[in-house]
Amino acid sequence: MTQTEQLSIADARAYLLDRARERGVTLEVYGERGTSTSVEAFGGEVSEFKLEARQGVALRVLVKGAWGHSFTENLSRPALDRALDSAIENAELVAPEPGAGLVAWPEPPALDLYGEGLSGVSVEQKVQVALDLDRAAREADPRVVSVPYGGYQDSDSQRLVGNTAGLSREARQLYALHYTAPLVSEGGQNKMKPDWQFTREFTELDPTRTALSAVEKALALLGARPAPSGTFPAVISGECLAELLALFAGMFSGKMVEEGKSPLAGRLGEPVASPLVTLRDDPTPVRGLNSRAFDAEGCPSVPLTLIEGGRLSAFMHNAQTAARAGTVSTGHAARQGLQGTVGVAPSNLILQAGDTDAAALASGLTGVRLTGVSGGHAGANPITGDFSLQAEGFWLEDGVTAYPLEVFTVAGNILDLLAGIEAVGNELHDTPDAVSAPDVRVGALAIGGA
Amino acid sequence: MLSQTLAAEVLSLARRGGADFAELFAEDTLTTTLRLHQGEVKDAGGGNLFGAGLRLLYGTRVVYAYTNDVTPTGLRDLADQVARARGGAGETTREGTGGLDFRRVDAAPLYVAREHPLHAAKRDKLALMRRAHGAAAGVGDVKTVDVNYLDRVQRVLIANSEGVWAEDERVWTRLTVSAIAQDGTLRETGSYGPGAGQGLEFFETATPEQIGAEAARIANAMLRAGYAPAGKLPVVIGNEFGGVIFHEACGHILETTAVEKNASVFADKLGEKIAHESVTAIDDGTIPGAWGMVTVDDEGMPGERTVLIEKGVLKSFMVDRVGSLKTGYARTGSGRRQNYTFAPASRMRSTFIDNGQETPESLISGVKRGIYARKMGGGSVTPGTGDYNFAVQEAYMIRDGQVAEPLKGASLVGNGAQDLRNIVGVAGDLALGQGMCGSVSGSLPTDVGQPHILISEITVGGRA
Repeated sequence: MTQTEQLSIADARAYLLDRARERGVTLEVYGERGTSTSVEAFGGEVSEFKLEARQGVALRVLVKGAWGHSFTENLSRPALDRALDSAIENAELVAPEPGAGLVAWPEPPALDLYGEGLSGVSVEQKVQVALDLDRAAREADPRVVSVPYGGYQDSDSQRLVGNTAGLSREARQLYALHYTAPLVSEGGQNKMKPDWQFTREFTELDPTRTALSAVEKALALLGARPAPSGTFPAVISGECLAELLALFAGMFSGKMVEEGKSPLAGRLGEPVASPLVTLRDDPTPVRGLNSRAFDAEGCPSVPLTLIEGGRLSAFMHNAQTAARAGTVSTGHAARQGLQGTVGVAPSNLILQAGDTDAAALASGLTGVRLTGVSGGHAGANPITGDFSLQAEGFWLEDGVTAYPLEVFTVAGNILDLLAGIEAVGNELHDTPDAVSAPDVRVGALAIGGA
Repeated sequence: MLSQTLAAEVLSLARRGGADFAELFAEDTLTTTLRLHQGEVKDAGGGNLFGAGLRLLYGTRVVYAYTNDVTPTGLRDLADQVARARGGAGETTREGTGGLDFRRVDAAPLYVAREHPLHAAKRDKLALMRRAHGAAAGVGDVKTVDVNYLDRVQRVLIANSEGVWAEDERVWTRLTVSAIAQDGTLRETGSYGPGAGQGLEFFETATPEQIGAEAARIANAMLRAGYAPAGKLPVVIGNEFGGVIFHEACGHILETTAVEKNASVFADKLGEKIAHESVTAIDDGTIPGAWGMVTVDDEGMPGERTVLIEKGVLKSFMVDRVGSLKTGYARTGSGRRQNYTFAPASRMRSTFIDNGQETPESLISGVKRGIYARKMGGGSVTPGTGDYNFAVQEAYMIRDGQVAEPLKGASLVGNGAQDLRNIVGVAGDLALGQGMCGSVSGSLPTDVGQPHILISEITVGGRA
C-alpha cells in the first residue's frame, strides 16, 4: 500500500488525459466522488453511524479499434500510470469493434439535482430523523414488536467525464432519504413491510408519516390465510408492477438485443403490450432517483419512449451499441460504480398512468391483489421474460379486500403480462428501484399456494 | 501495508472521544474481469480497490468512517472525523499514542495459491475461458455462450486497540459459463460458475471443459420443458448449490445481525429442537481453498468451524464482535465485510447440511408425485418473518418414484422455521457450490452446500 499523495478526481482526469495525449492514446476518464452520512437507529438508540468518503476514476482506452478498461481508487500518480498501462494492456486482448470512437457531445440540459444542499443541516438533525422514525414506528401500534431496520441516509456526490476528443463534463447531486421496516406480530404470525422517503431537500423529510405508513402496510398483512393455487384475475399494485419492470428493464437494452439476450430483439414497431401501455425512460425529473444531465459517456440526457400505445418504439443505446445497430446514442451509457465496463441501463422508467380510478380497477373482481414480489435476482429471467417469484398480496371478493394471503408464488412471462393489461390506474407510484407505475388489472395470473 | 507506529497513532486519535474500542481496516485489492461472448473477448477490465475504514464502539453503538486517502495525513483526518462524529471530542486519552503493543495474530494461511492470479498472464486466463466456451458452444441447441472470468486478490490489514495486528491476502478465482439454447421461439438458459479461494490451479480440478459442458447440459435439458405445477408438493433438492435452501431459509436468521435485533424466529431457541433429527448443519471458515474460507475474518479473528444445528438441535449462532457484545455469545470468527466501505457484520462462510444415511435414489424412490430440483438458482429471505424464496434452474417431475419430464419456471417459497422440520431425508453426497451473498456488510463469497435432501412438503410456484 503506497502512502503517496492522492490527487482529486479532477486533477486525476487532467493528469491521465495529458499522459494519454503524450502516448497518442484515445482515452475516456470517468470519475466519481461522494460523501455521505448514514444513521441507523434501533430500540431508541443510534446503533450505527457511518461517514463515507469515496472517490476513484475509471478509464477506457481505444487501441486499434478495441476498448480496454481499468479503474483505480488509488489516485497517486504511480497508481494512475499503472491504471493507464492496464487499460492499454486490456485493449490489446479485446476484439476490435467497427464504429468505436469517442465523441465530444453537445452541452447537456441544465438540471438542478442539488437543491438547497445540506450545509445548514447538523449531524444532530440527521440523527433526530433516524430516532423519530424508530420511535414513531414502535409507538404506532402495540402489535409492533421491533423495528429491526430503519435509518437516515444522505449523499453529496460529484461525477465527471472527460475524453481526448475534447469533452469535459461535471455535475453534482444530492439526496436525503429515510426508511423503516417495522416487524409486527399477532397470533403467531410475523409480518414486516418497509417504507421510505426520498428527497433533495432535507426539510421535506417526514419521519412520522413514513413510520405510520410502514406500520399500516405491515399490519394489513396480519391474519393471512393460505393462498389457493390456480389462475385468477388480478389487480397488480403500481409498486409491484414497478418491481417487475425493474427486473426486466434489460429487455430494452441495445446491448442485450445485439447479444441475442432480449426477447424483444427484432420487434421494433410491433405490438408487444396492451394498447393501454406507454413506457418511457426519463432522466430529467428533479425528483427522479436516477436523474442525471448526462450519461456515463457524457452524452446529454433526454426522455425516450420505449413502448408507445403498446408498440415497441425504441431500444436504449450507448454510443457503441448505437454504432453497431446503425443508430445514434439515446444517452443510456451506464456504469455500475467504477468497477464495471460501460453498459446500457435505464434512468427512471415510467409506465404512464391511465384513466381508471382505484375503485373501478378492482370493481367486481374476485381474485388476487398482488402487492409485492421478491427473489427477482434468481426467479426472473430477462432473457426469456419468464418469472416465478415469491409474492405478497390479498384475496379480493367482488372487488373488496377479503383477507391477506400467506406466502405464495406468482409465475408468468412479463410480455404476456403487459399484453394482458385490461385497465390502467390513474395514479403513479414511485419505488426505490427508480421505476414508477400505476395499478393495473390483468385477466389471468398464475399463483401457487396451499 | 502500514507501519505499526502510524496505525497505533490513528487508533489512539480515533478514541479521543472516549470510545471503548477502535479498529482500523486497510485494504489494497486488485481485480481482473474478462468476458467472452460467442468466443470473442468483449470486455477486459479490473483495477484497484484501495482504502481504509475506522470503526469505533461506544458500548454496542458503532461509528464507522472510511476514506480512499490512505496517506498519514488522510488517516489522521479520518481519525479526527470519526472521533468527532459522536459529538464532542472531550476526554482525551493520549495514553499509548504510537505505543500500542500489537500482537500479530498467529494464523497460518489455510491455503496458498500455487498459480497466483497476479503472476499469470491474462492470455492464459483467456485460454481457460476459450476451453470453457468450446465445451458449451454448439452443444445440442446451444446458440449463445458467455464466459466470465474473475480473479480478486485482497490484501488487508486489521489492527485494533486491543493490540490485534492481522494481515491477510485472500485470493479468489471464478469461471462462470452462461449458455442459451434456442429452437425457433423456444429459449432457455443454463449457467454454472464454480470458484475457489485458490489460484488458477483450481481449474485443474474444476476443468473449464466441465464448467462449459454443465452450463450447456442445463440449457438443453430445460429447452423443451413444460411449466412446473403450482402448489404444495414433496421436493427432492440436489446437492452442491441446492444448499442455497439452508442458506436462505435458516443461515441468515442464525447470524447475530438478525438475532440481536430479535428479527430472527430462532433468537430464543438455542438448545431446542428446531429441525428434523436427520439435519446437522455447519458453517465452516476453515476449509482450505474454499470460496468461503477465512484464514482470519475481517475483525482479525481466525476462522472457526461452527456447528449450527446438531441432529436437529440448535447449537450455535454465527457471531461477530458487536453481535457478541449484544447477545453474550462468544465470537465465532464470522465478522465479514465486502470491503473497507462496510463495517463488519456476522456473515456466513461455507454453510452446509452434513451428510446423512440415505442415497439420492432412495429419496426419489419414496416420492409418489413431486419435484426433483436438481440445480438451484439463487434466493433470498426476509429476516423477521423468515419467509424465503429460491429459484430452480433445472427441475423434473417425480412420478411414482421415478424422475420424469423436465420442468421450467419453478420457484420454491416457504418459511424457514417451518420447512426445517420438513427435511425428512438426507443423503450422503455432500458437495459445496459457490455464490455471492448480499447482506448488511455487502456482497461476499460464500459456499452453500448439502447432500441430496427430501422435503416432505414445500410450496412450488409454477403455472401449470
